[in-house]
Order: sequence, then structure tokens, then C-alpha cells
Amino acid sequence: MYYKFSGFTQRLTGVVSSSAYNPQGLRSNIPSEPPTTFFATPTKLVSESNAAVEYMGANKVPDLQRLFQASEEIPVHLKRGVSDRLLYRTTMALTVGGALYCLVALYIAAQPKNK
Amino acid sequence: MAHQAHAYHMVDPSPWPLTGAIAALLMTSGLAIWFHFHSTTLMTLGLILLLLTMYQWWRDIIREGTFQGHHTPPVQKGLRYGMILFITSEVFFFLGFFWAFYHSSLAPTPELGGCWPPTGITPLDPFEVPLLNTAVLLASGVTVTWAHHSIMEGERKQAIQSLALTILLGLYFTALQAMEYYEAPFTIADGVYGSTFFVATGFHGLHVIIGSTFLAVCLLRQIQYHFTSEHHFGFEAAAWYWHFVDVVWLFLYVSIYWWGS
Repeated sequence: MYYKFSGFTQRLTGVVSSSAYNPQGLRSNIPSEPPTTFFATPTKLVSESNAAVEYMGANKVPDLQRLFQASEEIPVHLKRGVSDRLLYRTTMALTVGGALYCLVALYIAAQPKNK
Repeated sequence: MAHQAHAYHMVDPSPWPLTGAIAALLMTSGLAIWFHFHSTTLMTLGLILLLLTMYQWWRDIIREGTFQGHHTPPVQKGLRYGMILFITSEVFFFLGFFWAFYHSSLAPTPELGGCWPPTGITPLDPFEVPLLNTAVLLASGVTVTWAHHSIMEGERKQAIQSLALTILLGLYFTALQAMEYYEAPFTIADGVYGSTFFVATGFHGLHVIIGSTFLAVCLLRQIQYHFTSEHHFGFEAAAWYWHFVDVVWLFLYVSIYWWGS
């Protein structure tokens, strides 16, 4: 007699041996290894084949990982150099300029209307 | 570089919280200036600053996670909590608008004719474009799940195709809703019916656009090999958000479009 724990009734129920250990997808009489595949054209290394083998571009993540893990103490938002600095400076200029413009606009808006 | 003896992420000093806060100041003050002085300069400046902040802040998070390896399991757990809590706050946001709708529609006042839909309102037929929209979003829920399984199984091409299809379905929904808005026989100014309809569906539409954008960023990242079969939380967050958008639509459809017609 084999037993299975039913998660639904929270009890052990007796089952036949075939369902006692029956993981999803495991079917009997089917070999667990697929038949050996062979190709008309033998497998080539990606480095030997042309760029058409890559689907939508090559993997640049390892290079970027090396770049960003270089040990200079530059903060992450500036670590890519000139383009980061340019964008940061533009953003900061707009921030400071915008904050000042806002204060001026609010000061003007707070003035009473002169009849 | 000093090495840390813990698994948590001590972030580099960053200017983006400041620029984001100033952007919020500029947008809100700009709104007031627009209302009273007819000038949109301040508000537009605030919007530009918001976009710059979002781009650079999230770009930095990608750098910290994918390129610098800071998103260890405990850090990822925190990110998961964060996304769940954010989506929960959005649920409460929509709950308010549903409350407003049911408040007005369950006990329609004499001014409305004592009935819902109010006298003079021709509601949209729920079995025309709104039903198509429901099918589109449900299908997109299937395709985003397909994309997730493709990523987990390392199927690059399928992941890209299913994610692209999800985004296309989202854009199709947006286009259909825009057309419905244009063709609707009532406006936001048409009493409480118009208000509840357009504010609830309008905020939902905005969230569809946000969700589609999030998925589009994930598509770009998937193409650039950022996601691995074990670690792809950015995509999972986008998928959670997308399912949330889908569920909100189902509530909108049943309550406002169907029951409310």
C-alpha cells in the first residue's frame, strides 16, 4: 500500500504504486535521454561563424561589466565618462535654473493685483 | 575598491533624488502658474527635468545591478517588496475612483433623473470596442507569461517575440481607447457620469502607457542580454505591473462599462 499526502484534504490517502512517485512529465517506457542528434552541417563555434548567427546583436554585457567594475572611485552616474558628465551637467543646470525661475515666478505670483 | 563584508547595497552618492524633487516642485508650481498666468514654461521645464531624472536614475540602477552585481538575493528581496508595496498603493489609488463611481451610481440623485445611467447619457455598448479591449488585454497577459517562461528557459528569440507582441497589444489597446474617447457621445463635463467615466478610464489608460513603456525598456534589455534565466527581476516587476493594469481594466469593464450601462 502506498500513501500520498493530499494538500487539499490535508490527509494521507492510499494510492496505487504508479501514482505514488509520479512527477509531472515522467512517462514510463520512454527513454530519458533523447536520441543522439546529428547534423548535416557539423556544429560550428559562434566565433567561427558570421554575424548572422547572433540574433539581434552581440552580447556586450561582459565588456560593460568590466567597465563598471573598474576600481576608480567614480560614482556610477558618471562612470561612462563624457556622455554621463554632459547629461549630468545639463540636468543640474536645468535643476538650479529651474528652481530659481520657480522662486521668482512664485514671488511675482504672490504680489497683490494693483487696481 | 574597498570590499564589503555584507550582502547589502550601499549606494554611491546620487544627484537624482534632488533633481526629481525639484522637478516635482517645478511641475506643481508650473501648474499653478499655467492656471493663473497662461504660461506653460515652468511646467514644461518640470516635465523635462522629470524625464531626465527618470532616465538617469533607472539607468544607474541597471548599471548597479546588471553591470556591478549589487543585486544580491537579499537586495532583490527588498526590490520585490518595494514593487509589491508600490502596486498596492496604486490599487488604493484606483479604489478611490471606484468608490466615487459606486457612491454616485448606486443611489442616483433626482438631479440625474433618479436613474443610472443618468437621463440624457447614452453609454457605450459594452459588447463592442470595450469587449475587444478586454480581449486584447487578456491576450497580452498570456503573451507576457509566455515571455517570462521563454526567459526562464533561455529561449532568446521567443522571449523577444512574445515581449514585442505584448507591447503591440498594449499599444493596440491604447489606440482603441483613444478612438473611443474621440467618438464618445458624452464628455468629462457631462455630470458625474462623465467625471467618473473619464477620470477612472483615463488614469487606467495612463497606467497602460506606463506599463507598455516599462515592457519596452525590458524588451531593449532582453535584446541586450541583460536578463539571465535565473535573474530577471526588472522583467518580473514589469509583468506584475502589467497584470495589475489588466485586473484594473477587468474591474472597470464590469463596473463602469457593463453594470453601469
